[in-house]
Amino acid sequence: MDEEIPRWPGVVGTVASAFGLGVAGYLTYEHFTSSTSLACSDNGVVNCLKVTTSTYSAVAGVPVAVLGLVFFAVMLVLQLPTMWRRPDPAVRLGRLAWAVVGLCTVLYLLYAELFAIDAICLWCTSVHVLTLVLFGVTVYATSAYPAPLAEEADVDG
Amino acid sequence: MPNNRPRPPTKAQKGKSSTATPKKSASSQRFAERQAAKQQAAREQRRARTRTYGIVTIALVVVIVAVLVVVKVAGGGGSGSTVDVPSPPAGTPIPASTLAKLMSVPVSTLNAAPTGGILTTPQSVNNPALTAKGKPELLYIGAEFCPHCAAERWPVYIALSKFGTFSPAPGRIHSANLDGDVPTLTFYGTTYSSPYFTFTPVEVYTNKPEGNGYASLQQPTQAQSTLWQDTNGGTIPFLDFGGKQVLPSAQYSYGPLQNLPFSSVAAQVGNNSTSIGVDIDASAAQLIKTICGSLSHDQPSDVCSAVHNG
Repeated sequence: MDEEIPRWPGVVGTVASAFGLGVAGYLTYEHFTSSTSLACSDNGVVNCLKVTTSTYSAVAGVPVAVLGLVFFAVMLVLQLPTMWRRPDPAVRLGRLAWAVVGLCTVLYLLYAELFAIDAICLWCTSVHVLTLVLFGVTVYATSAYPAPLAEEADVDG
Repeated sequence: MPNNRPRPPTKAQKGKSSTATPKKSASSQRFAERQAAKQQAAREQRRARTRTYGIVTIALVVVIVAVLVVVKVAGGGGSGSTVDVPSPPAGTPIPASTLAKLMSVPVSTLNAAPTGGILTTPQSVNNPALTAKGKPELLYIGAEFCPHCAAERWPVYIALSKFGTFSPAPGRIHSANLDGDVPTLTFYGTTYSSPYFTFTPVEVYTNKPEGNGYASLQQPTQAQSTLWQDTNGGTIPFLDFGGKQVLPSAQYSYGPLQNLPFSSVAAQVGNNSTSIGVDIDASAAQLIKTICGSLSHDQPSDVCSAVHNG
């Protein structure tokens, strides 16, 4: 009777994580180089350099770009289709918790960009969008397709 | 021999459709089916409820993001074309008499200063023309903590005052205590107007320690950063005179200015009998000459002819 988890969360999650990993890697590279080659408009509101070199570009001394790299690397593993097929609650809850961590970070950084730095970095925005997509996929698929084991426990109980 | 195996129903029995045992079995089967259906329905209900929670959560996040953006747009907090970070006050006001003295030092006096203390002079470059607001641009990149920049701002201010005006007048600051404590002026928060060229000052850091460095103040644009990086590796101070000449570092040593009060340095400007006065005057004269040649087309003529004739 258990409904099998469809393939799309794993596919979408993996692709989004891979893209996020790439962008975060680029931003990390730029952070540790001069940052002057960052391919981004600088028309005032959109100003990547202003964002990536602001005081909000690091948390406790750790560059946000590096945190993003770690986030997407872990998320890539958690979003693999094989991981979605695993009914292990630890994996499901871990993925959900990780997505929430990403969401909270995005909201904080979005607030910082809009109201503190007063500039938007398009690269950062693409990372934010990917994180929100990952959050949406994770939350929806986790809630819409409960783990088989959990369901069986529900039924038995 | 007793036969314990159940006998198949006779034709008559089949016709009656049931005996006690099959009747019970069918009934329990129906009951089990009803139970299974109920459980399935309950499970579907739970799943639908969970799915709804998920969708509501996602919608909530979308709303939060949208609200942040709408509040920003409606609040009009955007900086538009400016790239300045909201910042601390631009220094302590300088007495008008002091500023007047700095602005009124005759070009001939500046030009007469010996150049023995000059360490760096503007160098010719073959960069693309640097312009802003339809005029040649003088780009300055420095930082408030930086003692070399603190020293350089004196001749820059004196030279610029020959070609235009600042509004409001620059305040006074000093480089960071850990970095020489050199008194100086700050161009941050001022606007310079000149009929000849545009002056764009960018102070990338304040003199306030933060973490392992100093708090950010202004962010160069991408083009400025690229120019700055490509021309002198991103060191400060940096001056670019319309893409024709650059000053890659401070013109004179800040050492003698360390720990002096602002008024003491200001008093020596225009006085070619003190080493500080000489260094500042000679540096200012060089800058004036460079501006005349690179930015103002030798205008105003009285200023430029004075440095050329010196």
